[in-house]
Amino acid sequence: MYQYTEFDKQFVHQRAAQFRDQLERHLAGKLPEDDFRALRLQNGWYVQRHAPMARIAVPYGELSSAQLRTLARIAREFDRGYAHMTTRQNVQFNWIPLPRAADVMDALAAVDMHGIQTSGNCIRNITSDALAGIAPDEIVDPRPYAELLRQWSTLHPEFAFLPRKFKIAITGATEDRAAIGWHDIGLQLKKNDAGEVGFKVLVGGGMGRTPIIGITIREFLPWQQILVFIEAIVRVYNRYGRRDNAYKARIKILVKAEGQKFVDAVNAEFADILENDVAGAAHLLPQAELDRVAKSFELPAGVLPQAESTRPAVDAPRAYGRWLERNVHGHRIAGYRAVTLSLKRAGQAPGDATDDQMDAAADIAERFSHGELRVTHEQNLLLPWVLERDLPTLWQAARDAGFATPNIGLLTDMIACPGGDFCALANARSIPIAEEITQRFDEIDELYDIGNVDLHISGCINSCGHHHSGHIGVLGVDKDGKEWYQISLGGSDGSTQSGTPVPGKVIGPSFAADEVADVIESLVETYRERRAAANELFIDTVKRVGIEPFKASANAVRRSTAIAHAA
Amino acid sequence: MKFIDPHKDQWHALGGEDGPAACINPTPFLLLSVEQWHAFRAQWPQGMPVGVVLTNDAEVKEIAADLPRLALVQLSFPKWVDGRAYSQAHTLRARYRFKGEVRATGEVLVDMVLLLARTGFDAAVLRADQSLDAAHRALTFFPGYYQGGVDDPLPLFAKPPGTADALVRAQEEFVHGGAAI
Repeated sequence: MYQYTEFDKQFVHQRAAQFRDQLERHLAGKLPEDDFRALRLQNGWYVQRHAPMARIAVPYGELSSAQLRTLARIAREFDRGYAHMTTRQNVQFNWIPLPRAADVMDALAAVDMHGIQTSGNCIRNITSDALAGIAPDEIVDPRPYAELLRQWSTLHPEFAFLPRKFKIAITGATEDRAAIGWHDIGLQLKKNDAGEVGFKVLVGGGMGRTPIIGITIREFLPWQQILVFIEAIVRVYNRYGRRDNAYKARIKILVKAEGQKFVDAVNAEFADILENDVAGAAHLLPQAELDRVAKSFELPAGVLPQAESTRPAVDAPRAYGRWLERNVHGHRIAGYRAVTLSLKRAGQAPGDATDDQMDAAADIAERFSHGELRVTHEQNLLLPWVLERDLPTLWQAARDAGFATPNIGLLTDMIACPGGDFCALANARSIPIAEEITQRFDEIDELYDIGNVDLHISGCINSCGHHHSGHIGVLGVDKDGKEWYQISLGGSDGSTQSGTPVPGKVIGPSFAADEVADVIESLVETYRERRAAANELFIDTVKRVGIEPFKASANAVRRSTAIAHAA
Repeated sequence: MKFIDPHKDQWHALGGEDGPAACINPTPFLLLSVEQWHAFRAQWPQGMPVGVVLTNDAEVKEIAADLPRLALVQLSFPKWVDGRAYSQAHTLRARYRFKGEVRATGEVLVDMVLLLARTGFDAAVLRADQSLDAAHRALTFFPGYYQGGVDDPLPLFAKPPGTADALVRAQEEFVHGGAAI
């Protein structure tokens, strides 16, 4: 993990002090809500249904056990005992009273954490592959670059008030586990024929009301130039992005509308910075700085290649085998594995963890993973440094703590936003839908038979639950003050399994809340009937047979909507 | 950062409408629109201080050639969360090396002051309800910054070794000193 320097530490403490000053002025009536809003947002403080929601940054998902313990303590002492992991690898609290917000920021700063730019119309927390630095298919470790981008974008004075939020995702593997095509800027590290490192740069992706996949603006940008190139992109966006309509303000709309003109403007701006600006080349990254930051990401002390065990686990329980199959992932170091702690289980919202569970996960990380964890895009926790020989003991510990549901990648490993239970923006609730589906598919054999399915649920068009990229997408909509759900099929996040990133297709008019679980079941049944072979994945069947058969079976389960439509 | 008291400001806009006036009587410290300036620059006496108001959707490039003759470029924040003028200020300073005053007007809040200072503004007309104390305090929170700005173009990584530590010590002393007062 990145080790904070004294400068980094003081910076975060001073950010907390600045926020305290703003909060105190607000509470004293000297800073009206209209002016305070953008300031608190840029520190992660939304105002939600019940209390402010605090979104805490977990840069590119890396978390230490000490940090997780602090999050657990905040959940216990300031919140109602739980937190929520987000698709952007952050952590959210829901019940902290605003007057205590500054104390929370101080507690976070003590463990090098903050809420800087986790909201607002600025460059947001940078996300990455949850397997960064450990994946067997990795070409370049993206974490040092992600950290350099974090530092550069932190309190960037020119880009704090963009037309709209701005999200960057970065990966360095052949498999895209960071959905880079869906981001304002997507970065893929690669090597050219000479072995030099560079970025494929995508720009203009995004979800929301108008789902668009990013276009490739550079096939290979030498890594040294990345800060300058992003400066050029963001400056063009800041100047020309629309500000008259929030739904048309993301960079995707500008890129789509301007096409080649946008690309030309970025290239001209990039050349201008380097050739004409005062110290324009000063932000070209030197090798020494990359080396300094990369040093933090060397292997944890004591991690050395180990002999892989050869003993077959003949007497191991079936559940253990399933856990190995679903929750344990390959590692670039021989004798090591990455292990997902599933936060998808009946009785708790997807991605939620209680204070005790967070403490338990911190214990497990200390015992088995050099005190390191990751928050994954799929809203689980991941242990990056597990010895293969420790897996049986880890499995026991994970089971005891409720983290061993062997469902990673399966239907119940769904992505879901907090929805209308918490979020003021939401049109409909996500959590009861997720819970009903989880209960409906609690039979593990059935779940295995269905196989890999990306089920993504968003409570509104803002798409925090990434419904566009789900094989099955569920979107909450509001009609006449009631909750309805639009179902889409065939979306892709850009992974090999899901194919070229694409938004799913809506299968017809919205369904009533009490129909959604039936619809999901009917879609699954249609797949099982139609699949060409037992190993044809849901997404492949959808692609092969099209959405019509699914639409027909989904329509057959309409009850409330049938009545509503007849009326 | 210079905070302008509008009542004591030597700069004054041309009365009347914004459009090209039929005739302008050159007086020092007159503030003109780009159109007005372009219409009258040929007659404007050399050396007489003149300023131009740039709306936040205007191209800095349009006045690039005029900059050596301008004493002031006034930029605006129609809403404080509309950040276009930060990029204009940056471009004025970093690209065109404008040496005159760059002034922020419109909805200028104390919590913008740090961003203004770092993107090349050196003067601001704060919204009437803003506190000067808070504005001055807003400039003091951070030891330094990661990225370069107009005020200090080198990013932290490009500065001499030991800079980060020196900044930390200076900030500690400042915070301590402040606490003692």
